[in-house]
Amino acid sequence: MSRENIESRNEPVAGEKLIELRVNSQVYVLRVGRGPGELDPAHTLAFTLRETLGLTGTKVSCDKGACGGCTVLREAEAVLSCMLLTIECGGKEITTIEGLKDAKTGALDPLQQSFIDHSAFQCGYCTPGMIMSSKALLTANPSPAEEEIKEALSGNFCRCISQYQVVEAVKAVSGKKG
Amino acid sequence: MAQPYRYIGKATPRKDGLDIVTGESRFVDDLKFERLLHGVVVRSPHAHAMIKSIDSAGAKGLEGVRAVLTREDIPDFKYGNPRVFRLLDRKVRYVGDAVALIAAESEQIAREAAGLVAIDYHVLPAVFDDYEAMEPGAPQLYEEFPGNVLPLGDPFLGQKSMVEIRTGDVADGLSEADVIIAGKCGYDNLPNPMPMESPRVVASWGRGVEGRDCVTFWISNQAPYLMKVILGAILGANLDVRVFGGPCGGSFGSKLMSWQPMCYAALLSKNTGRPVKVVYSKEEHLGSFVLRPSSRLDIKVGMKKDGTVTAIAGDWLIGTGCYSQTTQAQVAVGCGEAMIALRCKNWSVKPKIVCTNRTASGIARGFGGQELKCALFPILSRGMEKLQIDPLDFMKKNFIKPGDGYLWRDAQWYDYRGISFTAMMDRGAEVFGWKQKWKGWLTPTSVEGAKRIGIGVGVHGNADVGEDVSEAYVRIDSNGSIVVHSCLQEHGTGQRSNGAKVVAEVLQTPLEWVSMTPADTMVNPFEFGPFGSRGTYVILGAIIRAAEDARSKLFEVAAPMLGCAASELDTADGYIWAKSAPKRRVRWQRALFQRTILGYGRFEPDYSLSNCLMSFVEVEVDTETGNLVLQRVVNATDVGQIIDPQGLAGQLCGCLGTAGIDSAIFEETILDSSTGRILNANMIDYKWRTSSEMPTIDNVVFQTPMPTHRFHAIGVGEIATAPGPSAVLMAASNAIGAWLDSYPVTPCKVLRALGKVGNAGNKQRAHTARKRGAGD
Amino acid sequence: MKTFDHYDAHSLDEALGLLANRCGKARINAGGTDLLGLLKDGVLPRYPELIVNIKTIPGLGYIEEDGERLRIGALARLCELAGSKLLRERYAVLCEAAGAVAGPQIRNVATVGGNLCQDVRCWYYRYPAHLGGTMECARKGRGPCFAIKGDNRYHAILGGRKCFAVCPSDLAVAFAALGGQMTIVSPRGERKIAVGDFYSPLGNGLADDEIVKEIDVAKAFGPGRQRFLKFTVRKPIDFAIVSVAAVTEEKNGVFANARIAIGGVAPGPFRAEKAEEKLIGKKPSEALAAEAAEAAVEGARPLSKNGWKIEVAKALITRVIGS
Repeated sequence: MSRENIESRNEPVAGEKLIELRVNSQVYVLRVGRGPGELDPAHTLAFTLRETLGLTGTKVSCDKGACGGCTVLREAEAVLSCMLLTIECGGKEITTIEGLKDAKTGALDPLQQSFIDHSAFQCGYCTPGMIMSSKALLTANPSPAEEEIKEALSGNFCRCISQYQVVEAVKAVSGKKG
Repeated sequence: MAQPYRYIGKATPRKDGLDIVTGESRFVDDLKFERLLHGVVVRSPHAHAMIKSIDSAGAKGLEGVRAVLTREDIPDFKYGNPRVFRLLDRKVRYVGDAVALIAAESEQIAREAAGLVAIDYHVLPAVFDDYEAMEPGAPQLYEEFPGNVLPLGDPFLGQKSMVEIRTGDVADGLSEADVIIAGKCGYDNLPNPMPMESPRVVASWGRGVEGRDCVTFWISNQAPYLMKVILGAILGANLDVRVFGGPCGGSFGSKLMSWQPMCYAALLSKNTGRPVKVVYSKEEHLGSFVLRPSSRLDIKVGMKKDGTVTAIAGDWLIGTGCYSQTTQAQVAVGCGEAMIALRCKNWSVKPKIVCTNRTASGIARGFGGQELKCALFPILSRGMEKLQIDPLDFMKKNFIKPGDGYLWRDAQWYDYRGISFTAMMDRGAEVFGWKQKWKGWLTPTSVEGAKRIGIGVGVHGNADVGEDVSEAYVRIDSNGSIVVHSCLQEHGTGQRSNGAKVVAEVLQTPLEWVSMTPADTMVNPFEFGPFGSRGTYVILGAIIRAAEDARSKLFEVAAPMLGCAASELDTADGYIWAKSAPKRRVRWQRALFQRTILGYGRFEPDYSLSNCLMSFVEVEVDTETGNLVLQRVVNATDVGQIIDPQGLAGQLCGCLGTAGIDSAIFEETILDSSTGRILNANMIDYKWRTSSEMPTIDNVVFQTPMPTHRFHAIGVGEIATAPGPSAVLMAASNAIGAWLDSYPVTPCKVLRALGKVGNAGNKQRAHTARKRGAGD
Repeated sequence: MKTFDHYDAHSLDEALGLLANRCGKARINAGGTDLLGLLKDGVLPRYPELIVNIKTIPGLGYIEEDGERLRIGALARLCELAGSKLLRERYAVLCEAAGAVAGPQIRNVATVGGNLCQDVRCWYYRYPAHLGGTMECARKGRGPCFAIKGDNRYHAILGGRKCFAVCPSDLAVAFAALGGQMTIVSPRGERKIAVGDFYSPLGNGLADDEIVKEIDVAKAFGPGRQRFLKFTVRKPIDFAIVSVAAVTEEKNGVFANARIAIGGVAPGPFRAEKAEEKLIGKKPSEALAAEAAEAAVEGARPLSKNGWKIEVAKALITRVIGS
């Protein structure tokens, strides 16, 4: 690359920029800007989901990428929505806890039902993140070993210590379709 | 044991389970409000300073800022014990202390505005060490507390409250002893209960129906009614306080100390005429909210060869940080809990509460007793070692038994009405394999290369299982549906589901007929809240009585229809019949035609019972790196009757987190000794147990029926954290063959105890350790 | 988080142009798992005006062997390194180091370039703005290093000067042992720098207008042995207290080659050359491993509270070499 080439390059003119965010198979078009209801470039995905789209099932606890409370799926992979800028999430399919139910029938994902059956929660604040990490695991590896389940949940904090019951809940649906 | 019950003791789904797994649970921060403003706190950079001036013009000028409040803009609200701690003061007493409050259209704007408030401070010397705070010439935090020492006693506990343990004659006791141990030990690493959801609140100030000022709070807490009482006392009598308690993302006691954020939100709301939300960041949560109190013990213990403790005498220093709300109550309860764990006739333990320039200590699971006993048991261990007493035998011998008694938090003597826990402890030991694994004091269970296994045991009991008052109504509507009026907020124990469960059991209805009112103080009677394992005995007790009262009233209505006395009747699944003629049944709806039945239940405190939990732990210590791994935990308890097996398992597994067992392994709040800043106020540097490193836990649960409860149960959740930390210290000491008596057992401390790392080049630390008597 | 401008770059040229135009007031986002934390806590002395997203630049996520070298694009994600068959078979230290970073969710987003360029974890440096204000320190260009007199239990025992923070990157340690080098681009063209030379006490070697494009490694010598060990309080989440990456080769029963790098002890990955010398030509044994470990930490100068890290480093080196 030549020096001239770079110096002559102007920054893009600030104009109307739209971000197409796909969440739970629904498309939201957000206008980038700093006004009310607009997508500030500094908004994290967690903020946008909760405050702009009203999808408050995703929980924010540490807001620094350590606790896993805000885990969502990005193209079936578990990611931390507090550590992603929404403006960088356009075009990718995002799935939140609200998107796990069968869209047509409203039936719970087997994982959700298993969490209920095992009382795999105490206060329930970490549960959406736990379920999303588990979902990512089961999608990639439908029959995980117990150690793989624990490893997949290693970035999810639970202060009440629901982990023993969470592992049982995940084991109960592993090897099954869903 | 045969289960005579329809629901009690059986796994039933949590009523809120569907909401939790679908993300539909509405925690405070999930609620939607019209015209909501966001409140933030401007916090002090100094540990101790006078505020000379505050210039908030810059902050006020920022677009979107709706209010900037300083001390001069607000009423002089005070709270705490004693009631001298101001909401905003002329003085700041820790790094992070509140200086000003801001409300803005978004949190982002409010935070930016906080950076624009210009404050001029006169910096004062600060004190961070509890012993140094009492020395002559030490910086003084409050004019009211010379020497930084706070008065003991908590009026909340009654006219008198426990301010020391004093019984018998310690001189006599010591003269009877085969060995006398003088020792010092601290449990002073200030672990944080750290619920996942940080403190937060929404307040809306407005006119009530009668034209009186009214403030409504939406809280994330565990005691909405108690918060109504507390906030009413702070905000003044001419105000209606209404509190909604929705799902709470963990509290472990700590969030009862939410008067400050609640007042911040209320005042900002009053000032702006709009609802205001205050959400602490995790950094604020860890740096400017509640820590466990620090505890340092300096005592003499007399012990006989048979494990009898003949005397315990000495001083207990409790560090409360910059102020106290409940520390005196924790001292009172802790003293009682020591007596429950140790059948000693001669006591003289004198507590002293001291304040220093760090964020406040307050409630954490294990309330006082954990703090005292984590410092006491390592000292007792020295005596057991001298006399070659197996700690399991010692704890079995010394834990309270029928025929004994104790002084409780109100300084009254209680004759113990509960059961013996000895068989349960034996069974726990058997499951753990104690006999095979115990090789004597300071002796590892096994050695493999650099890795050594050690075991330890701890025990705890609490007579607060019957503390304070609960009330409830059970309402049967004309269509037969049942509503429980209780101000019980769900904070993770599943007690709201259990509330519905016991009512369905009493009235013999399907579970889904029973629902709970929201925890709204306007529609519910008094409820102290789920503390001290009181939920099972007290809260459910009140609900059960209300259900029984409703049942009686229903029978009174139905009796004439069946032509017999109400006492002759029975009911199930919405039918009523005479026991003598079960075939002739009346449907509830007939009895309830144009009628509502309202049963009332109240539970008066009962301090004559204790629960018990014994925790056995096995650790592996790497003598080359100093690393400690918790491999196995066995918890043994007797709950009388299981209400919900999954909920109980969850409570017992909770022994690890919430400043529990892990406070002996890696949990600590690291306060910088020169600046007073908390260095690990984030969830990377504050260590907590990860999901992939859970030890094996076995819970041994006995069910010896407790005569005092309708379903013979007793609560145990709150004490799950308490026996473990000292057990870990014991296990680690045994593993490496050298005493460890400082929490947490970091690799550095292990290597130092093994003589692999000297104190050279570590003078500052050595000095502090000597002063603390930390005994490195 | 305070606001900033944001731009998705679609080529390195474009990204470099944006950086050059903002004269140090722009920051690269190559994953964001470190950057967003710094921005939220208001730690950086100069808050960026512009964030340049480089994840939108195509073709920088490769992991491939190319003739004599392994080449990894700066945007390859840690999960991809940890799961790479190629790395597992031939560059195991990289695979293990990548898998030892943080937790699964972070590894799904964080990239190699970002991991190498992340900021230090010193708790004085990182003290958050909204809890009483950040701490002005030597690393930020004004003030002392608080760690010298303060709580330095995790700080440097080797090579600290003015600032005693340690390099938090696990990959840096693995690359240093493999002799990896970074390709850095700027308006001035391309330059290469050994990963081991990239770090200095007050910051890494990336100028405001530079971007890491690639890391390459000479094909590992022979079929040697590679091991990575990381000592932390907890396996997930934590940054290394001490880590060791070792790449060794034996011929005729003696060490023919050895490269050992230690992490968590110095401003950058520390090449334990003295330990390597001890090994060459000698038969592997426990005793030799212990001797090498002693040699590795010979120059260590602990602060008041971090002497224990020397013992941990020795134990790790002994295990890496000995077993």
